[in-house]
Amino acid sequence: MKTQIRKKYDDENGEENQMVKPKLKSVAVTVPLPVVGTTQEITWCPGCPNFLVLAAWKNALTNLIKQGYLQENFAMCAGIGCHPKIYDYLNISGVYGLHGRVLPVCLGMKLGNPNLKVLGFSGDGDAYAEGMEHFIHAARYNADITYFVANNQSFALTTGQSTPTSAKGFKSKAEPDGEYNMPLNPIKLALAAGASFVARINPKDIPHTQEIIEKAIKHKGFAFIESIQDCLIFDQNPGRDKLMYKIDNGKDMKKAMEIADSWDYNSKTAKIPIGIIYQEEKPILEEKWPQLRKLRDNKISWKNSK
Amino acid sequence: MRLNILIGGRAGQGINKVSQIVSRVLNKRGYYTFNYRDYPSLIRGGHNFNILSISDKKIGSHESKLDFIIALDEKTVELHKKELKKEGVVIGCNEFCDIGRNANIAQAGALIKILGIENSALIDEIKKEFGENKEAFDAAEKGYKSKKSIFNLPKLKNQITIISGSQAISQGAINSGINLYIAYPMTPATAVMHELAAKETENGHIVFEAENEISVANAGLGASFAGAKVMVGTSGGGYDLMTEALSFQGMAEIPLVVYLASRPGPGTGIPTYSLQDDLDIALRGGHGEFPRIVIAPGDPIECIEKTNEAFYLSEKFNVLSIILSDKHLAESEFSTDGKLNKILDVKVKRKVPGEGIIKATSYEHDKFGNTTESPGIAKIAADNRLKKYEEIKKECKKMEMIKIFGNPKAKNLIIGWGSTKTVILDALDSIDSSIENQSKGKWKFLQVLYMKPLSDEIKKEIEKANKVILVEQNVTGQLGRLIREKTGIAIKNRILKYDGKPFTSDELKEEILDIK
Repeated sequence: MKTQIRKKYDDENGEENQMVKPKLKSVAVTVPLPVVGTTQEITWCPGCPNFLVLAAWKNALTNLIKQGYLQENFAMCAGIGCHPKIYDYLNISGVYGLHGRVLPVCLGMKLGNPNLKVLGFSGDGDAYAEGMEHFIHAARYNADITYFVANNQSFALTTGQSTPTSAKGFKSKAEPDGEYNMPLNPIKLALAAGASFVARINPKDIPHTQEIIEKAIKHKGFAFIESIQDCLIFDQNPGRDKLMYKIDNGKDMKKAMEIADSWDYNSKTAKIPIGIIYQEEKPILEEKWPQLRKLRDNKISWKNSK
Repeated sequence: MRLNILIGGRAGQGINKVSQIVSRVLNKRGYYTFNYRDYPSLIRGGHNFNILSISDKKIGSHESKLDFIIALDEKTVELHKKELKKEGVVIGCNEFCDIGRNANIAQAGALIKILGIENSALIDEIKKEFGENKEAFDAAEKGYKSKKSIFNLPKLKNQITIISGSQAISQGAINSGINLYIAYPMTPATAVMHELAAKETENGHIVFEAENEISVANAGLGASFAGAKVMVGTSGGGYDLMTEALSFQGMAEIPLVVYLASRPGPGTGIPTYSLQDDLDIALRGGHGEFPRIVIAPGDPIECIEKTNEAFYLSEKFNVLSIILSDKHLAESEFSTDGKLNKILDVKVKRKVPGEGIIKATSYEHDKFGNTTESPGIAKIAADNRLKKYEEIKKECKKMEMIKIFGNPKAKNLIIGWGSTKTVILDALDSIDSSIENQSKGKWKFLQVLYMKPLSDEIKKEIEKANKVILVEQNVTGQLGRLIREKTGIAIKNRILKYDGKPFTSDELKEEILDIK
């Protein structure tokens, strides 16, 4: 009986599954482009900014691989929510983890093999509600991880409840009278917790987003990128793009805090800075142990050590 | 020959130092020791004590009646004089007041003299511990001269080493080639973190203290996914926090070894005391249905071997292995002269990131690791998890899932697990020497080591016996319930102790004999 079901399943789904396997068929170019996407059906709502985020990530990964980064050395962890579905759409190794637990898995991957380029993907509920304690500590540990948070200021996949960054008065089925509290400012929090790279992007600007992603991956240490984006179903903010302007700050913490303070995630009129808000090189966690430094220097994993 | 020495005082007065030095002297002389540690949850002050039990035969427990009290403060005498035998001796603190902080060494000197051992044996051990410390030597000398010998312990030929359960768990992990141990401090699991941290450089693994147990378990999975051999450790509440990640393990099938040292009671309970009340959560913690292995070693040798088996099985089947212990096993110091089984080679054979595109997911997934909600695939995947458990069961049969001690033909059967193993053996030994003379004894003891999968032999053993007694340190008899679930047999005779204090062998013997 079981074998029959198995066979039936293979017959029905075999073709579809075959399509998931990457095939380098791009004969039009002399050097085949790396296949960084998959053929898995994308289940985001039509028009969702996550499509733009995905495009920027694909561009960034393609560009980095062309520069010599090895595709098999990328490893990601995605949380649970709308945005983390990106796990199925990027053709790199990874773990589709639990809601709120992206950063511990990323940290584990780094301790498990310091040669991996580790990427984390969360939504705002995942990062700032369920996973807040990990966010603060990841910034403090400063392991070499890139963490991308798609902040649409709502729990979208659970039908629009408010998150820690929802604007005051944000109405949902859970809070018909509107959100009572002021939103949290994750950029300020990341700066205070010691993150060594803090940036914000607007996914509608794909080249800028791609550039920031590439810089974040190249940054040695905990790099936090927050995407300010609409949820077309539960939190539309028409006209917000016009308020966004580009900045590029270095390691001036005072200025970084001012930039972070200039938008409180609540105001509909304040200008919203995007770009690199803070960047400074600091000692990273993996370098604490000679054992891990050895793995890194010899470019081997624990599996192949000794 | 069996002697029980209580060493008591305020936390920070050097109780462990005295029992350590005295037991080293005795071990060197060929005597077996068992050191029980009893302390409340505080750092300085209060009342702590150790009971050091000594014998010329193997032991793994202490007794309720004392031969000696070494009292580092007045309160110790007050609290424990009821437990002293008629001919018992108190070595008090008052007579050594003038010695100051080395008074405990003087008391050790007095004890050594009473036991009839030469002072040089003690001086040797003090030297190892404190170096050339004249004050300590003088204190030992003064204590030694203050008493007369009552015993005359001859030298024995036994080669003995001392090891705690926690040290043994760590050794088992090292034997398995551990790369990474992650934990958050929680008694009584913490000793393993300390032990492994001390051996980081020597052995080449790393220890990471994460921000909480949720992070510990998830980081463990991340590291294991990346190809490291990982163990995570915790106790009661910390394990509760981990359980979501354990369920994630069940779906993602990333190998993980969990060391769970249970503690007494719900909530914060009685953190520094001992109970076997977390068998249920070890068996079932985590939502959904997925395979796992739960192993409960009963002494340090088994801690070493079973931890190795946990790593081996976890890596072989990409499964969750839980090693279950408690404070009594983790922190008591046992003497051992046993040999180890052959170490199982733990190899990471699976492909890891860096070697290709590898995916692992907490969602139901197809064979390529992509998310699916198809009922067809969901059923196949669930069936596959079930099938895997059947494979695991087969492999576990190659291991010692149970052990039988005493006369195999005896009709009286005692069933127990974990830290009660050694006290049950000591109690039976004094009932009819069945452990030493297998053919004569009226009793046998069935120790359950694999709690999941559970051995089919258990049912056969119960059916062969006339009288069956279950011994556990919990309120409801959790192993008894497990056996009933798997065999349909309810064990009616139960000796359950759940006040946080471990069984003593003499009291357990009485309780066993009381059951008609």
